[in-house]
Amino acid sequence: MTSHAEHVNGELPHEPEKATLEGRNKVLGFWLFLGGEAVLFGTLFATFLALRNQNNEGPTAGELFSLPITAVATLILLVSSLTSVFAIQAMHRHNVKSLINWLIVTVGLGLAFLGLEIYEFYEYIVHESFDMKTSAFSSAFYTLVGFHGAHVAFGVVWIGILIGQLYRKGLNVVTAPKVYVSAMYWHFIDVVWVFIFSVVYLLGKVA
Amino acid sequence: MTANQQSNEVTVKHRHRPEGPEKHILVFIFSIILTAIAFAAVMAGGVNATFAVILLLVMAVLQVFVQMGYWMHLKDKGHLMPILFMIGGFFVASTAIVMALFWVWW
Repeated sequence: MTSHAEHVNGELPHEPEKATLEGRNKVLGFWLFLGGEAVLFGTLFATFLALRNQNNEGPTAGELFSLPITAVATLILLVSSLTSVFAIQAMHRHNVKSLINWLIVTVGLGLAFLGLEIYEFYEYIVHESFDMKTSAFSSAFYTLVGFHGAHVAFGVVWIGILIGQLYRKGLNVVTAPKVYVSAMYWHFIDVVWVFIFSVVYLLGKVA
Repeated sequence: MTANQQSNEVTVKHRHRPEGPEKHILVFIFSIILTAIAFAAVMAGGVNATFAVILLLVMAVLQVFVQMGYWMHLKDKGHLMPILFMIGGFFVASTAIVMALFWVWW
């Protein structure tokens, strides 16, 4: 019996995340989860679209949103998606040092995005009197965008823990699927953000 | 005989050359351009609302397509089930969105 964490030759295969049945099943199962996430965000988008003009005499989307901040947040998240691609490519080259470095950059960009979002929400609540209870629009806005922000926060913690695990245990066929799946999650967060900046912020400025 | 051949196949070392970053940087540039078009159209102001909705949706869907295809590897071989999961998810999601848009304030 070969040890579970080692390849038959003692050498890591090219795509270590797909080397074991467990790894392949993890990736497949994660896709099923992402399908469920698409449904979750779809229903939150549906609620937001139904309620986006019900501002209850509070601020409207057109008055509230500042597109430069949204543009910066978009750029940060897009770059972080690219850096997690680089992390996976480093993993495929079996370069653990480079993998960890790219993951650290990804987590750092995620934290920058979160900081910007917290600043944005703080401005709305404190200076614009736009909180969760202001209107149906505000509730739908905070639920949708806040849920996405919570996903970013979860991803930051998750990838942060994986960085620690890579330090301690290195790259093997057990840790590789975890890193791969966390990168999929991170790309999915960016995909959801593409719809958020289009539907919530840009469309809010148009109509 | 066949069992022997199979075990030989497993131990053959595949010398893969890892793919370079070029494709992914192209996807990134493409995403930036699509995002810039969407932001520019809205920030310039004075765009027709219907035209803006269509433009924003097309830019978003194109960007999501290339990112899921290249960055999440959906265009690679052996991704039939993931594609079906995502189509299923997006189908239910779009049902909810159509319901909210056309029935809630009927």
